[in-house]
Amino acid sequence: MTSAQNTQGRSLWADAIRKIKKNRIAVVSFWIIIAYIGLAALCAMDLVFTSYSLVDNTIPYQAPSSAHWFGTDLFGRDVLARAAHGTVTSLIVGFVGAGLSVLIGTLLGALAGYFGGLVDELITWFYSTLDNIPYILLLVAFSFVSGPGLKTLCLAIGLTSWVGHCRLVRSEFIKQRGQEYVQGAFSMGASHARRIFVHILPNTLHLILISFSLGFVSAIKSEVILSYLGLGVEPGTPSWGMMISDAKLELSRGVWWGLAAATVFMFFLVLAFTLFNDAVRDATDPKLRDK
Amino acid sequence: MNLNRTFSRLAIVFVALSFLGITLGCTKKNSAKENVLNNAITANLKGMDPIYANDAYSNQVISNIYEPLFEYHYLKRPLELQPLVASAMPTASKDGLTHTIKIKKGIKFQDDEAFPEGKGRDLTAKDFIYSWKRLADPANQSDGFWIFDGKIKGLNEWREKMGKGEASYEDEIEGLQAPDDETLVIKLTKPYFQLYYVLAMNYSAPVPKEAVDKYGKEFINHPVGTGPFKLDSWTRNSKVVLVKNPTWHGGKYPSEGEEGDDARGLLKDAGKDLPFVDKVVYSEIIEDQPRWLNFMKGKLDIVIIPKDNFDTSVSGDKLSKDLTDKGLKLEINEEPDVTYMAFNMLDPILGKNLELRRAISLATDTNTLLERFYNGRGVNALSPIPPGIDGYDKDFKNPYKEFNIEKAKEHLKKAGYPDGKGLPEFEYSTTNSTTARQMAEYTQQNLAALGIKIRIAATSWPQFTDKLREKKAQMWGIAWSADYPDAENFLQLLYGKNVSPGPNSANYVNKKFDELYEKALKLPPSPERTVIYKQMKEIFVQDLPWIPNIHRKAYVLYHGWIENYKRHAIINGEAKYIRVNLNQKAKLAEKL
Amino acid sequence: MLKYTIRRILYVIPILFGVTLVCFLLFNVAGGDPAAQAAGKYATVEQIESIRAELGLNQPIYLQYLDYLKQILTFDFGRSWSTKQKISEMFWSGVGPSLSVTVPGFLITLMITIPLSLVLGYLRDSFIDRTAMVVCLALISISSLVYILAGQYFLAYLWGMFPISGWDSSWTGRWEYTTLPILIMVVLSLGGQILFFRTIFIEELSKDYVRTARAKGLSNKKVLTKHILRNALIPIITLVVLQVPFLILGSLLLESFFGIPGLGGLLVTAINNADFPVIKAMIVILTILYTTFNLISDLLYAVVDPKVRLQ
Repeated sequence: MTSAQNTQGRSLWADAIRKIKKNRIAVVSFWIIIAYIGLAALCAMDLVFTSYSLVDNTIPYQAPSSAHWFGTDLFGRDVLARAAHGTVTSLIVGFVGAGLSVLIGTLLGALAGYFGGLVDELITWFYSTLDNIPYILLLVAFSFVSGPGLKTLCLAIGLTSWVGHCRLVRSEFIKQRGQEYVQGAFSMGASHARRIFVHILPNTLHLILISFSLGFVSAIKSEVILSYLGLGVEPGTPSWGMMISDAKLELSRGVWWGLAAATVFMFFLVLAFTLFNDAVRDATDPKLRDK
Repeated sequence: MNLNRTFSRLAIVFVALSFLGITLGCTKKNSAKENVLNNAITANLKGMDPIYANDAYSNQVISNIYEPLFEYHYLKRPLELQPLVASAMPTASKDGLTHTIKIKKGIKFQDDEAFPEGKGRDLTAKDFIYSWKRLADPANQSDGFWIFDGKIKGLNEWREKMGKGEASYEDEIEGLQAPDDETLVIKLTKPYFQLYYVLAMNYSAPVPKEAVDKYGKEFINHPVGTGPFKLDSWTRNSKVVLVKNPTWHGGKYPSEGEEGDDARGLLKDAGKDLPFVDKVVYSEIIEDQPRWLNFMKGKLDIVIIPKDNFDTSVSGDKLSKDLTDKGLKLEINEEPDVTYMAFNMLDPILGKNLELRRAISLATDTNTLLERFYNGRGVNALSPIPPGIDGYDKDFKNPYKEFNIEKAKEHLKKAGYPDGKGLPEFEYSTTNSTTARQMAEYTQQNLAALGIKIRIAATSWPQFTDKLREKKAQMWGIAWSADYPDAENFLQLLYGKNVSPGPNSANYVNKKFDELYEKALKLPPSPERTVIYKQMKEIFVQDLPWIPNIHRKAYVLYHGWIENYKRHAIINGEAKYIRVNLNQKAKLAEKL
Repeated sequence: MLKYTIRRILYVIPILFGVTLVCFLLFNVAGGDPAAQAAGKYATVEQIESIRAELGLNQPIYLQYLDYLKQILTFDFGRSWSTKQKISEMFWSGVGPSLSVTVPGFLITLMITIPLSLVLGYLRDSFIDRTAMVVCLALISISSLVYILAGQYFLAYLWGMFPISGWDSSWTGRWEYTTLPILIMVVLSLGGQILFFRTIFIEELSKDYVRTARAKGLSNKKVLTKHILRNALIPIITLVVLQVPFLILGSLLLESFFGIPGLGGLLVTAINNADFPVIKAMIVILTILYTTFNLISDLLYAVVDPKVRLQ
């Protein structure tokens, strides 16, 4: 039984990958995301755009030129380099924040869906409670209470945004629990943990993946809002949220390039994630599989 | 498809909406005939109770409604006190401990429902005693008690008893007596030459007991004062409208001023009855762009040029031609304030290593700071005492206030940390406004050049002040604006007995400095006192508990139809002096 | 239906309990000592103690929680630390202005986005659809500051079509000031809403009944307008109902730039002033509203779709 279900899972993925490969937009999106990750890695290792913190007080607020494609900021730093380094912050917030929330959501959702009964009641109550507090308020309240900084930012996003994942995984587990292969594993004496993690979880992975990438995009956007409220990353760290919130003052003196750079960088990342997400959804949706 | 229909409907909605905007915009044109002064405050007004007037914005509004005993002469510089509700300047006993103040006859509180038949009654000396007890009452949690703290006989004792519930407002206080309705006698515990200055602050303005009793905690929204204007309406977080108070005791426009005031036309209204406008509006506009654009449209009469609109409007202290053509006028004023970076002197490294502080001071590039964040609007600060205040000396030397990275490195070596080696990362505290954050980044860069690393902790203002009060901050950036024109107001920030939770957040203690401070307190303004201030400044430079940054300048723009405008940061009640020239306004408004 | 309604209403009780508990824990336990923060500058130990007593912080924690529940039930949240104003009054004076912008803005947006996304869903994966999607994403990606600053500068200042900022509390006078913010709000929410509705319509379009209807020979127009629109109404209503609490909160940026004295501005000021009682009250009020509207939307759902009741 186990092997049969694994092939089923594999064929779902193989099928999905085959479909995604045929989808030009999805492929391009995928490579854009990889490029962002590569850029972030190179920036984090300080191999490219090393001038991001290079201050030159003789050239503040320079308009875009051949030397500085996106101009310079208040301290004469290269805006392009800062936007590129902002990728690091955004990807950390995105991966850690969304990752944490997927982790919590999946774990609780799996427990609730698998065991049902009291466990389910408790977990459902807990997430319905959180779900009834508007997300952005919860986020603000949380980061307000625990003080600003990158760590808080990730933690706040992770701890406040897991409800959607949890609900999804729970309902998927309820559906899968009754399926033949799980019942089969049960009769073969597999432990609860084995059934949850080895048998059911792989079959919900595509949903979790989609859910994760939605969470990723919303985490990046949350960073911008929190920066605007003064609850963002530590000053001095390049971040798109900070660049956008600085624009409030800069725009009235005609300095648009800081905002433009951060927006362009964020736009393509969000666009790529959204389109890729769409493609994965289509490719793994059983309803659309025979289309 | 019926989509077409939907779209055409939408188009109609859009056109209708835009049209609505246009027509409504037009109907408002006739407001130009109203004799009104349109002001803006840059934060939301909290309320209008004098004992809570702890920020510049509420003071600006409150000063028109409430009146303390004294005020500053509108035109004379340096500032000079003159009686407002008092009938003359007080007489003091020889030892300087007893002050007798006569109160003008026939001053009435504004009409209010709190009084019998709604008619405001006469102000008496007892009202001052009541109001000051109210300021001292711990239940009211006023920030302003420091003006009398430890200064008036019996007041602190009364405050303590009130806190324990063992006293009442009926109790007599030795230091506050009213022998008759027009006489107020204040007995001090020690000489206090700043007394008259604090009696010109809104904290000390008289309020009627009837209104406080009637409105209770809501008194903050029902101001009842004696001033030239009274509250007409307040739309919270939007605007305050004040109208002329018909029962005001009156006042005359000054007939003398500073040199050059006559030539500027500031004496045209000499001797005429105040106020000149019927109505004063304070719009609460927090963001720079709408405030600036409203001003450029003539919807606001006076505005401080926002930092990011400065380059396009002013160069070399001259207005751009475009703005001059519109009839705008520029007023530049040196503000009595200082911005500085402070060290917590209790910090085991920063507080104990003088050479390290010297190195940091030498590495601070004030000129670039001035250029970048203030558009050059200010002067390099060498000591805590700002221009326009006794004790300021523009030839004063502070050898550590030159930007010299080589010297800084030498001092850092002497400090025992060559090139910053061995130093931990310091925490620099600041508030989370964009500009404060950017300035912190600037400091971070300055120190990085020395090899000193700092981490910026940007929090809200209350969280920031909490940190200072609890002595938890290491170094931070902050500013101080004068409450009154006396160097004491700045030097008290360094007085050893004022350490946190008092105003001396740097927790700086120097015996010699404290002795001089106490000596100066006993002296009236005099050359002798100025010499002491100079000695204190020298001790300050030797110890460097702060790095003074800048004394700011205000660049104020006002429209051609505004007359009699003269800026001073400490004078708040200027609305009563200002005249709006309506003919001129009709002419100039067309060009906007 | 009645049984379902009662069950669903009873279900709100544990949720409300949870919601208030989270708010309470977040601010009273994790947020540090409220008394020390309320006391402000130059506070003595005795003063802080007296405030502790006044705020009831000397009581055991469950009594404090009960006190907190009482505050919510009586809608008496005490006074703001920074302005000393009554919080319930601050709240009431802010609701009207916020709604004056958000309600018209939201309705106009719906009128535009529903037909538009229906068309896009129908034209799925075509060039027009793809372009529209990119445009929508671009609209979302551009910071709302840009729309606000540009709208205010060009439409209000340069072309003089609207006042730059301000507010009139009379019902007839306020529209002069809200028109531009409403327009900007529409532009701001277009992108996100079109993307959202498009997904709903696509899901609906791929359902069997659409194929059946087409097979029966119904014209495209009829299928689109009659069947799909009607069926997609359920998620749309859900969205609309759930948006109401956010409409009450208003838009923080729009309010501060256009001088609209609404709740968004109130919340931002409270955050900047670390005004705990105001933040706490705002969060709990909005949360309760949100819970209520969640309930309403579920009930509506059940009215439309009987299957839900059986669950």
